[in-house]
Amino acid sequence: MRILFVGKQIASSPEIKIVLETKGYQLITREKLHSAISLFLDDPPDMLVMEKGFDNNQGSDTDLMNSVKACQQKVNIPVILAVTQEDIKKGVDWKTYSVDDFFTLPPVPHLVVNRIELALARMVRVFDNNPLSKLPGNTSILQAIQRSIESGEKYAVCYIDIDNFKPYNDRYGFSQGDDVILMVARITVNAVDELARKDSFIGHVGGDDFVFIVREESVQSVCERILDNFEVVKKMFLSSDDLEAGCYNEKDRQGRETTFGLLSLSIAVVLTEIDKFAHSGEVATVASQVKHYVKEKEGSNYLIDRRAYR
Amino acid sequence: MDEKQIAEFRRALREAKSLPTLPAIISKLTRMAEDPETTSEQMGKVISKDHILAIKLLKLVNSAFYGFPQKISSLSSAIILLGFNVIKSLIISSSIFELMEEQDVELWEHSLGCAVICSVLAKRLDVNDPEEISTAGLVHDIGKVAIKMELPHQFKKILSATEKEELSVLGAEEKILGISHAEVGGWLSKSWNLPSKLVEPITCHHEPAKAKDEKLATAIVHFSDILVRGMGYGHGADIWVPPMSKQAWDMLGLTADDLDEIIEEVEEKLWDVKGFSLEITQEEMKQE
Repeated sequence: MRILFVGKQIASSPEIKIVLETKGYQLITREKLHSAISLFLDDPPDMLVMEKGFDNNQGSDTDLMNSVKACQQKVNIPVILAVTQEDIKKGVDWKTYSVDDFFTLPPVPHLVVNRIELALARMVRVFDNNPLSKLPGNTSILQAIQRSIESGEKYAVCYIDIDNFKPYNDRYGFSQGDDVILMVARITVNAVDELARKDSFIGHVGGDDFVFIVREESVQSVCERILDNFEVVKKMFLSSDDLEAGCYNEKDRQGRETTFGLLSLSIAVVLTEIDKFAHSGEVATVASQVKHYVKEKEGSNYLIDRRAYR
Repeated sequence: MDEKQIAEFRRALREAKSLPTLPAIISKLTRMAEDPETTSEQMGKVISKDHILAIKLLKLVNSAFYGFPQKISSLSSAIILLGFNVIKSLIISSSIFELMEEQDVELWEHSLGCAVICSVLAKRLDVNDPEEISTAGLVHDIGKVAIKMELPHQFKKILSATEKEELSVLGAEEKILGISHAEVGGWLSKSWNLPSKLVEPITCHHEPAKAKDEKLATAIVHFSDILVRGMGYGHGADIWVPPMSKQAWDMLGLTADDLDEIIEEVEEKLWDVKGFSLEITQEEMKQE
């Protein structure tokens, strides 16, 4: 377990270092923003403890937090913020500082160590994430759908699924198939993050199925961005012969030679509107009907269900 | 250099982090990153004009850590997969590196010009993914940057040999180091897990006959490297235009008329790029 300490006061406390190291943690310290960010790019730690406004630089702490968030292989890196007594009196904007916990400066070694261990224990508790994509799994997805239908606001629940994924796996092997799943996860996370970060959610149902939830007004642009980006990146995952042919022959589920299209994506979109659904299960039922229609169309497509109910 | 020195150099290369980027590009990108309206696509457009940032981005997306080793050979795919925040982090962490010197600016223009010609040729030859080849053109001389950074002493000798003995850089490298920038670039890109679609054109851009799997891409980069030198756009630290491989020329199958059309198209595009590079170098001077 590697813990990164960023900031002069906490990084220079020999006592904290000793207590943590006797407990088997590896301590890394940085004082400057660029060297801390470099570490997140090259070899990210498992946890971050940082001083608010370190490096005497306004915004350095939020820049670092963003690069922690962007760190795709370790999504659940807990962040603990060290603040001054004055910060506490003034009040910290916890929406900007979306951290897991805090303590006040000067640091009290045993308190700091207990904060760290509490944050780690909490991280294990909420972990229903998919091991491949590190995205939240089914329990979190159902909760997120339920939250959005009860919110009284307009959301779009979107189900992504990779077309012709089984024949791709047969042709290229499972490990390549996993890479494609990871690729779709990255494309989705980045598109949602760029176009609709506020109140959004992304989960991985399993296999080649994903769910994301965004506000209704941004659903079209997010779907289009995902499909466009998928068309660019998928070329990296297909052989040049298959790309040239535009399709390939593989055996279908019954063992007959069939021609399959190259990889594409289908997104089925259900709008929650106000009072349309009572339970997350109803959303899933409608989604599977929409999915049926969108999968019939050739290539990558999305379809928003605009039927009226009740 | 003897074998021991070469082994030492290879080890140093693997850990090489400080490849110098143009500070004006970094400050342009930093400004873009601060603007909430900026998209990763817009940042990608600027990054695709800098051979150093490009190779850093490719190193990152192909690292085992990001999950796509030896897979991603085009910059726009790298940008889509890494996302805005990672790009922003890359820019912040690049902002401390040393300033590029004048001769580096020439190499930067050369790399950029080579990428432009690669893209024109790849589209003309109806290659599946032209952007992949233009990426290869952009980073083909990365070995030169690595030699300068990691072997500054020998690098000076190479430069003086090109002047005093009228050698090409390639010839001087072989005489002084026993290896060429193409080989060095090949090691670097291989140790960074870049796909063979990039490794081969980098390694074989002076000897395209040695390419195995990526013959066409290598031939295109080889030809573009020579054409951009011939057109006098940027340079690679010497005044010589490298010799053309007959095999590569035959593979491209271009006629004299094709060549006229290509040069016309390229000139127009280079003009746009020149505008960008003027803007950047002027900013550079303002900063000094």
